[in-house]
Amino acid sequence: MFLELTEEQKLIQDTARVFARAELEPVAATLDQSDDRTPMLANLKRLAELGFMGLNVRDTYGGAEAGVIAFSVAMTEIARACASTAVTVSVNNMACEVIQAIGSEEQKRAYIPKICSGEFAAASFALTETCAGSDPSGMVTTATDDGDAWVLNGSKIFITSAPYAGVFVVWAVTNKEAPKGKGISCFLVEGGTSGLLVGKEERKMGQHASATNELVFDNCRIPKSALMGKLNDGFRTAVAELAGGRIGIGSLGLGVGLAAMDHATRYVTERSQFGQKISSFQAIQWKIADSYTELEAARLLLMNAAFRKEQGKPFSKEASMAKMFATEAANRACYQALQMLGGYGYTRDFPLERYARDVRVTSIYEGTNEIQRVIIAREILRNFA
Amino acid sequence: MKLLVCIKQVPDMESRFRPNSQGIWFDENDLAWRMNEYDEYAVEQAVQLREQVGDSAELTVLSIGPDRVVEAIKKSLAMGCDRAVHIRDDHAATKDPWQIASIIAAYAKGQGFDLIFTGMQSQDRGSAQVGVTLAEELGYACATTLVGFAYGDGTVTAKRELEGGIKGVVKLATPALVTCQLGLNVPRYPTLPNIMKAKKKEIEVIAVADLLTEQPLTATTSFHPPARKGGGVVLEGDVGVLVEQLVGILKDKTAVLR
Repeated sequence: MFLELTEEQKLIQDTARVFARAELEPVAATLDQSDDRTPMLANLKRLAELGFMGLNVRDTYGGAEAGVIAFSVAMTEIARACASTAVTVSVNNMACEVIQAIGSEEQKRAYIPKICSGEFAAASFALTETCAGSDPSGMVTTATDDGDAWVLNGSKIFITSAPYAGVFVVWAVTNKEAPKGKGISCFLVEGGTSGLLVGKEERKMGQHASATNELVFDNCRIPKSALMGKLNDGFRTAVAELAGGRIGIGSLGLGVGLAAMDHATRYVTERSQFGQKISSFQAIQWKIADSYTELEAARLLLMNAAFRKEQGKPFSKEASMAKMFATEAANRACYQALQMLGGYGYTRDFPLERYARDVRVTSIYEGTNEIQRVIIAREILRNFA
Repeated sequence: MKLLVCIKQVPDMESRFRPNSQGIWFDENDLAWRMNEYDEYAVEQAVQLREQVGDSAELTVLSIGPDRVVEAIKKSLAMGCDRAVHIRDDHAATKDPWQIASIIAAYAKGQGFDLIFTGMQSQDRGSAQVGVTLAEELGYACATTLVGFAYGDGTVTAKRELEGGIKGVVKLATPALVTCQLGLNVPRYPTLPNIMKAKKKEIEVIAVADLLTEQPLTATTSFHPPARKGGGVVLEGDVGVLVEQLVGILKDKTAVLR
């Protein structure tokens, strides 16, 4: 048992922290309030150049080959400064990893280097539909074999980074007759493909700089070579490969929770009421003790899940546990932190209200925490059956 | 062309420093460590020169200290140094600047380094002696507090920072040593692929006992926070009077108003 980061992991954490403080944090509040994403896109490009888009991706494809633990600690540091930037980085990393895991050699060489280098500002996953959220096997978007091409029809929602994604990983039904989940395939669709329309952008509670859009496929023709992985095997892939994304989102939540508590804890050591610093009140101390303990537990769960994935061990249950616990601990931490600032916490002069809005979705996206519990319980019960 | 850059790992300056049990230095427990800021400018400048000269140059990074300094060494390697020398010393913090300079000199003598870069000073001890002493021991030309650097045809053109914002330009022929100041450059972030690739670069480990021959010339006898003074000046009274008093204080005691 050795609970220390390696020197390389520490250097990556440090690089992420210093970059996030210097470049991301100063623009985070502005990005939250503005429709202009230019500063974020510029920062994404710089993060790509530093190697943050392919942390767990092989050098051959332009990745850093730094592993899953490095990915987790980097996500936490980036999210401390800007959750919107962090979620984009997490999704880009997952896109690279999914293509690396199931794509053909040609597909890997065509897309992964472009995501890693920042030539593509982002990559997107198109899985969710209006009537297929927690149950993606109920999707109705179709891909029809038309001889020399696949033709996509249907629509997707909640697609992160859609307006500036260079490539989309799209799931669609390829066999309507097959049992549920057995007739879905996975495709790579390039941004700007004719018939691929980026629809309306959601007006969200938080993470404003990260675009979330509808995606419409209107007789969208893509080459036969766009099929990724085995025909009709796409749903299993989605379930298996996306577990890694939960480590990313859990780490992101942890970062926001830590940012909130660090800010609030500094505040209570300066704020006086009743003739003393409010940090001397037990009511405040308990919030500090509870929140930091929960965030530390979250960190250890995340490290465990990341370590298992890095070692090639099964990690689905651990990733779900870490995602669920970390994002809920982070939600509680943000609300406690906001409370510690009293009325100021509710104003936009302080970042707490933004943290509280940004963190809220972490228990929803990348699989709701209810679904995480289903996964955890299923994995545990399997050993008792 | 052989280049050497000397770096020190120091505590994060945002740390809470506590005196150690002997009361002569800070307690090293629970501190976060990073590369001395001025040494980052030195590494960046050395790497830029290494890139300017090309593959005929070899850039070595050197650090003295316990195993933890390998993290700072690896950062330098990731930024572009070719190889590293780790002079292993668990008690580097108790050595005086003369000893530290002499250890480096013992290593560097006879190696034929054309140019040596160091930080202007360390952020923790801040003696600003190691660079100049090392230059003296090696018989090298030396320029300190560089805010500008150029190299060509065996000559360094160094822009130095003088008092009151005045700059001076100094030319020195190699072999030479320069100490680097804030404003010289903007150190690059090490890229993640380079951090991982740096694992393959050579780190030569030398025991400090093999290089140390000198006794200390100075000894730190106390390390303590300044005594707490009474609270600041509290001005009271009518707003107009307060403003006059405040402006008076700012004029007399500070450079804010003149």
